[in-house]
Amino acid sequence: MIFLAKTEPFISLNIWTAIFTLVNLLIVFFIMKKYLFKPVKKMIDDRQQEIDDQYADADRSRKEAAALKEQYETRLAEANAESDEILKAAYRKSQLRDEEMLKEAQEKASQTLRRATEQVALEKKRAMNEIKDEVSDMAVDIAAAVLARDIKAEEHKQLIDSFIDNFGESHD
Amino acid sequence: MSIEVTGPKILWEFSFFGLFDVTITETVLSSCVVMLILVIGSILLGRNLKKRPGKKQVLLEKVVTMLYNMVRDTMGAHNIRFAPYIGALFCSSLLGTLISMTGFFRSATADISTTIVWALITSVLVWFYSIKNQGFFGWLKGFTEPIVVMTPMNIVSEVAQPVSMAFRHFGNVAGGSVLTMLIYNALAGLSAMVFGWIPNAIISAIPILQVGIPAILSLYFDLFSGFIQALVFSMLTMVYVGAACPPPAEKSGESNS
Repeated sequence: MIFLAKTEPFISLNIWTAIFTLVNLLIVFFIMKKYLFKPVKKMIDDRQQEIDDQYADADRSRKEAAALKEQYETRLAEANAESDEILKAAYRKSQLRDEEMLKEAQEKASQTLRRATEQVALEKKRAMNEIKDEVSDMAVDIAAAVLARDIKAEEHKQLIDSFIDNFGESHD
Repeated sequence: MSIEVTGPKILWEFSFFGLFDVTITETVLSSCVVMLILVIGSILLGRNLKKRPGKKQVLLEKVVTMLYNMVRDTMGAHNIRFAPYIGALFCSSLLGTLISMTGFFRSATADISTTIVWALITSVLVWFYSIKNQGFFGWLKGFTEPIVVMTPMNIVSEVAQPVSMAFRHFGNVAGGSVLTMLIYNALAGLSAMVFGWIPNAIISAIPILQVGIPAILSLYFDLFSGFIQALVFSMLTMVYVGAACPPPAEKSGESNS
């Protein structure tokens, strides 16, 4: 390159300088765009996208965990309530049975008592009848014995009646 | 001592098969160097991107995110596809200014030919998207608003837009370099004045004041101003093009320009 001593005026338009400037700017523009701005921008955007995705993932997981926790808690509460219910039912049932058993026992006891009383009354009646029969037999015997002593018929009858009356009075 | 404020040096001049003259200036060299730096840098930085980034990639992603956020905030989310162009423009402008700090190259942006091209790209984008969104006659009708008598003003402002953008950027950078040069030379004179009494001819000839001060000034005129101008130029491009591409009520997103 030959260095000439010549210079251009301070303010001068040189079409060749302009053309070179234009071409250089266009080259710089295309190269910077292709090799610098686009890759860097893409890298930044990709990373941003990745971060966003990860945050979204984390959020989703957290939400899922919260939902699960709530579900478990609900279930636990339900189970507790159920066990309470079962316990209460069992208690109520046992109480009911207790009462039933008691009532049954009482009934049985009273029945037994009644039956015993009836039996006693029956026995008493029977005994009474037996005694009556025996007494009448005895009376006949006594009468026979007395007859053997020859008592007047009137006396005889009076005697029997008073005997029976006295017997009845003293034993009824 | 005479100071000449000149444009870029002409490196190479030849006739293209006798059809027309081609002049290659310092600006073209700087512009190509910047282009190579950005191309190589982009390819190197854009390689081996990982999901789990290293420090370098974190920084790179931070810068790219900042760019995209800035474009989204200024132009709206529907215009996010302009981000690569804005990034390329910003980097070209910033490096085109800063390359003068190497000492070997002249700022590419200290040449009106460079900045006018960038400004015209912005204007062409604005016109293209205005016509695309409003139709050709809708775009023409836009010049008569709010009232018909404003039409000449609107046309002037439409033309002034790229011119003012170009001159703003060019003027800041070129003016900065001119100022730095003036101060540099002034400091040489001051140095000679202050230390000229020293009898030793060699010592008195050393311009001591030129040592630290221009570096500090260069920090402002090159680094700070270069950054601000790149930002302003990108921002204006975003605003103008963003205004030409309103939110997608009726328009549809398409591939980049």
